[in-house]
Amino acid sequence: MKGLTSLERVIVESLGKQGLPFEKIQEQTGVQENVCFNLIQALIIKGIISFDKNVYKINPNISPLIIEEINGKDAKREESLELIEAIIEMNSERIYRLQKVALDEKDEKIFKAMLYNLESFLKEANQKSQSTLTLKNKKIVFWGMSDVQKVINQIVVGE
Amino acid sequence: MSLQNTTIQRYRLFFPQETLREISARTGIQITRVFRLVNGKPMRLQEFEAFEKAIQTRIALNPNQSRLSKNLEEASSFLTNEELGRVADYIERKVINKKFSRHYLNPIFEEAVIA
Repeated sequence: MKGLTSLERVIVESLGKQGLPFEKIQEQTGVQENVCFNLIQALIIKGIISFDKNVYKINPNISPLIIEEINGKDAKREESLELIEAIIEMNSERIYRLQKVALDEKDEKIFKAMLYNLESFLKEANQKSQSTLTLKNKKIVFWGMSDVQKVINQIVVGE
Repeated sequence: MSLQNTTIQRYRLFFPQETLREISARTGIQITRVFRLVNGKPMRLQEFEAFEKAIQTRIALNPNQSRLSKNLEEASSFLTNEELGRVADYIERKVINKKFSRHYLNPIFEEAVIA
């Protein structure tokens, strides 16, 4: 398997630069104790994190090859799919909408401008609250748009 | 890994919490013999078949299992190598996530070795 699972990524992201003890990782991520333990062990085996003086840290000597594998295009796609699938499968406490919309040229420009504004808003909101909110209390947001015909072609042709 | 070990490991995946007594009841193999088999004693063909039968019965309880096997077979002839890689990645991630949420215990066999 290429890269990390989204669960492993959550653990790595929670560590930050300074590293964290086990209890803090759990507090930050909200991952169940035994799951958290298993994830940490898997990351240690992969050489991505290390344990020193009761603190788990991101290994500073990860080879560029592994970094490329973790953050590569394929790994990111798989992780995104995992997260989006989880959101789709949730029965409550989520917002999800997917539809085919008739947009004329003018409306498409307006919509893209709205998306641009949305992105700016999210960037600012994140900067404002990222130091005060724990990882588990953040939100996962995604959006996307493409032409129906292009999507259909992609499904048919693949790759 | 020998075929016998692979079969025992597969059995353990399907019945992770079973005691020696329960394995004996399910397979029809005497408990002392089960103890020896899980500790590496060579299996007889009949015993091998008993373990395999238990595994196949368990698989049959899950109808999607055969669908998955059939589709994988078909996929290997229709999909490109890259597409197969994605399917494999998807399945692998599902399995890994399940493994993370599960306790890794091998109590029965460890106890058996100690006993």
